[in-house]
Parts: sequence; C-alpha cells; structure tokens
Amino acid sequence: MLRKIALHFGLILACVVVVLPPLWALRTSLVPESLAYSTDIFPGWSWENYQGLITKNDFLTHYGNSLIVSLCSVAVAMPFAAATGYAFARFKTGGPAARFIMLATQMLPAVALVLPAFALLRAMGLTNSLVGLTLVYAALNLPFLTWILMSFFEGIPVDLEWAAMTDGASAWGAFRYIVLPVSLPGLAAAAVLGFILSWNEFLFALVLSGPQTATIPVALAALQTSNGVQIGKVSAGVVLAILPLIIASHFIQRYIVKGLTFGSVK
Amino acid sequence: MASIELHNVSKIYQSNQYSVRDVNLTIKDGEFIIFLGPSGCGKSTTLRMIAGLESITSGELRINGQNVNRVAPRDRNIAVVFQSYALYPHMTVAENMAFGLKMRGMPTGVIRQKIDETAALLGLDQLLHRKPAALSGGQRQRVALGRAIVREPQAFLLDEPLSNLDAQLRAEMRTELIKLHRRLGKTMIYVTHDQVEAMTMGDRICIMRDGYLVQSGKPLEVYANPVNIFVARFLSSPPINLLPCVVRAWANGVSLWLTEDCRIQVADYAQADYRRYDGQTVTLGIRPEDFHARQLDANWQPLPFKVTAVEALGAENIVTGTIDDVRFVVRLDRHTLPVPGDRITLYMDPDPIHLFDSQTGDVLARRVSPPLAS
Repeated sequence: MLRKIALHFGLILACVVVVLPPLWALRTSLVPESLAYSTDIFPGWSWENYQGLITKNDFLTHYGNSLIVSLCSVAVAMPFAAATGYAFARFKTGGPAARFIMLATQMLPAVALVLPAFALLRAMGLTNSLVGLTLVYAALNLPFLTWILMSFFEGIPVDLEWAAMTDGASAWGAFRYIVLPVSLPGLAAAAVLGFILSWNEFLFALVLSGPQTATIPVALAALQTSNGVQIGKVSAGVVLAILPLIIASHFIQRYIVKGLTFGSVK
Repeated sequence: MASIELHNVSKIYQSNQYSVRDVNLTIKDGEFIIFLGPSGCGKSTTLRMIAGLESITSGELRINGQNVNRVAPRDRNIAVVFQSYALYPHMTVAENMAFGLKMRGMPTGVIRQKIDETAALLGLDQLLHRKPAALSGGQRQRVALGRAIVREPQAFLLDEPLSNLDAQLRAEMRTELIKLHRRLGKTMIYVTHDQVEAMTMGDRICIMRDGYLVQSGKPLEVYANPVNIFVARFLSSPPINLLPCVVRAWANGVSLWLTEDCRIQVADYAQADYRRYDGQTVTLGIRPEDFHARQLDANWQPLPFKVTAVEALGAENIVTGTIDDVRFVVRLDRHTLPVPGDRITLYMDPDPIHLFDSQTGDVLARRVSPPLAS
C-alpha cells in the first residue's frame, strides 16, 4: 500500500513538472503584462498579449511561415525517406555501413551544419527565403524519417509482399498496393514527428531566415529586447505555438498503434 | 496443370552457406508432393525458389519443360499459401481474393463470379465483407486457400499452412486439403515438418536435411525403407529404437547381439544380406510399433520385457522398459496397459528391422524389402 502511494506521489510530481510550465504560460498569456510576475495565481484577465502579438508583432505571418516550412519540408522529405527506408529494410541496400552513415549525420551538432548550410543557400540565392529553409529542414528530417520508416517497414512481414508478387503484382505493385496502405500508420506517425521537429527548430531558422521569413521560435526570441523580455507576449506566442503540437500529438497517439497489421499474419 | 523439374538446384546466401544443395526432383503434373524436414533444412527455400520469390544460385528449374530461372513470380502462374497466411490486412476477404484477378486485368463481373464460386466451395460466403483481423485462425487459413484457388493457378505451393491451427482444426483441414487436391487435380507442393501430414496427404514425400534432398518416394515406401538413421528417426513417433549391436552369423541364421544376454534373430528374408556383416558392430533400428503384446505371427520373437514407465494415451500406450537391461520404447494397443515394474512378454516382428552403419548412419543395404512395402 505504502509502495503504491509512493509510486502515485512520484507520478503526480512528474506530471506537475511536465504540465506546470505550459499552465504557467497559459496563465501569463491571459493576464496583463504588468501583472505577469504577480504572486497571485490569476491577478487579472486580458487579451492584450494576444492582440499585441498579432497586430504589432506580425505574429500571424511568422505562424504561417512555420506552418509552410514545417508542412512542406515533411512533404518533400517523406517520399525520399519512404523509398530509402524501404530499400534499407527490405533490400539491405548499402549494408550496415549505409545505415550507420545515415545515422551519423544525426550525431553532428547543429552548429557544425548551420554555416555550411548558410554558405550553400547563399550561393543559390535562397537565404532569407521559405524555400531555402524548407529544403534545409527536409534534409535535416530525412535521416530521422528514414530511420523511423525503416523500422516500420521491417515490421511488415515480407510474406505480404511475396503474396502480392505471386498474386500477379510487380515489386513496385506490391509496394504500391500492399506495403504503402499497410504502412499508413507509420507514415503518419513519421510525418507528425517530422513536423514537430521542423516546427520547434530554432538555430537554422535564426541564421537562414530574415525578418519576413522568420518562424515562430525566431519571432518569439525577438521579443527578448534590450528593454527586457515581453513575457506576456512570449507566453501568448508559446500557447499559440503549442496548439498544432497538441493536435499533432493526438494524431500520433491514434496512428502509432500498429493495429492495422493485426490479422494479416498468424 | 504443371510438371515441375529441379535439376541440381542450389541456393547460397551471402555468407556462402548453402541453404539448398544440388536438389534433383521431377514432380509430375497433378502430383501431391510433400517436402518434409526439420527447421532450416531448406524445404521452404526450395518452395520459394519454385515460386520465384528466391533466386536460384545454380541449377535449373523447369515448369512444363520451360526454364523459369529468370521468370518473375507473377508470370509463373503459381499460387502460394504461406504459413502466416499473409492476408492483406487493409482489404476485406472479397478484396483479398479479388487482388490476384484484378492484377491480371480480369473484368469485374468475372471476378465477382469466381469469388462467389470459391467462397461457396470453402464456406466463406458469410465472411466476404470482413477484414482478416475479424476472422478466426481457421477462417484466415480458408481465406488464404481461397485466394490461391480463385486464380486457378497451374500449381499450388503450401508452406506449412496448418501449423498455426489447433490439433482438431488441423486434422479437419488436412482432410479438406486432400479432398481439394482430388477435386482440382492440380500439382501441389506442401511443406511441413509434421510426420502425420507427410504420411497421410502426399503421393510422394521428399525428406530434406541440411539443404540436401535425402530421400523421396511414396510415404509407406520411405517409412519401410529409410536410407539412413535421420529418415528413420524423422518418420517415427515415438522415436525409433536405435541400439548398437554386433552381427553374428552361423550356419542356420543371423542374429544381432545387443548384449551377451540379449539377442534378436534377423528375419529370414534379410539373412543373406546381413550375413556379410558378421562380427561387425552396427546400429539396430526398430520402431516402437513393431512390438506386440500378443503373438499373431509365428515368426514374431518373444522377448521378456520389464516395464519402467507407461504413457497411457487412450488410443494406445507408449511403454518404456528393458529387455535384458537394454532400453526400448514400445507402442502397445489400448487393451495392454501394464504398470511400471511389470514383467511381460512382448513379441517382436523381425521383418521391419533396419541395420545402419555405425559410422555414416546409412542403412545397410538389403536386396529384398520388408513385407510392408511390397
């Protein structure tokens, strides 16, 4: 009994640690800036932070930038990641070395990549543009998405493809009609994770974007001025930025369940 | 309809390990062939090579006389039923069955008609709109069969299709498959490691070990004339009794000395052949079912048997015991149920005994088969 109480106490504490910062941000976004650091739990009520953020700081533009860059980078990376992941999973293309090299790119610190990326984009005239940022995010997402999809494809019984091939499908047909539909949960989960990565990315956006192409993390960082942090607006921005992630997380939970393949084998 | 020929077919994987080695086999049109062997013996790999799902490293595969080494699986018109069933999880039963026909560009009306016919044949009429996840193991197995049948392929390859079913359903499906083969008259190749399936279903069994095709023939022929200890052991449950013995010949006969006190007389028909091994140590193989509680034949040899353990299975009793301190397992009818400690007389049929070379495990040749195979 005592063990159970201790366990629950620990779990509640962990939940509080996770939930408290977003709750504090929500509270701060809804109270006037001047009362943000009040010791009262809820000293007042105001929409001024949201209004100011949207009207004076052009937040909707940055929001749109983040949406465009995140969605497009995932859309660009997914077909490549799916093809590469499938090749790794089914044909063992490149052997373990290729897998390691792909994973090794994820181990490099972002700082080591950001300057070469800047030089490349500048040579192509793509700095300060959403296209440039999209391409960089797609490239950054590719190894991660490939890894996730490879694991998912490895979990799909090869018997399904063999059955399709003896049923009259070509190798491509087996992929198109059997593997892809069966992989939809994995593809959806990978896409949502890729979206979240791009949505939260800060360093590359800071270096590669300009005032009009800045994404949410950069726009929020800009609220830290020489006159201090505009904590009310930052909190409002954080609350608005979290919304798509909450929706995305909901989808992950729903899709990551691999139940779709149940019943096909055994 | 298809005849299938394998000429020196081998399969080597990247690690230079043979999975299948120099397999030569001719399967006649309409024949029901069983590939039998333990896990990893190469039987499923051979099946997949015939289906075109694995490349052939060397040798030649012919279907209806045509070399098909480089023909894609879809162009071989062969259906495979997998151990896992491999039903497409996102499709209904009807869609699963229709997939192969759609891939071949068949008109929708014809597809529907064929599905209805096959569903009626296999009792799937009420399940056509269900997805695989909503089916029981037996139903999934039927759908997998239906998906194969509906295409009217020239041959069926079945890779342990009953291994995921419970014992009762497996027995039922075994009978169904035999009936199906008779009705369709198509070539069937069936992979299993189950001795009962092998003995009861096929026209011919091919026993594989370590990639080699060790022996092929009619089930009872192989049972009666195993080429080596491996085959003898594989086709015997409970396991065949394998005992070292010395061959001793004299003017009136040949006997096998298990110990100084325990000896077995060789059957008349085999004496001429075994006489030449006089003085040699060989391995005696005698199956548990060749011991009997009552003497029904004058040639059966009475042996004193001391019971040490009894497994009463209802239909029969598996009894372990000793004959002059040599351990034997015997299978007795259900009316003979001794208890440990009993001393009984058993009658051994000397006709089906086998002698194997102690070094190689190969059977010592006899020119005349035991009566069972004749």
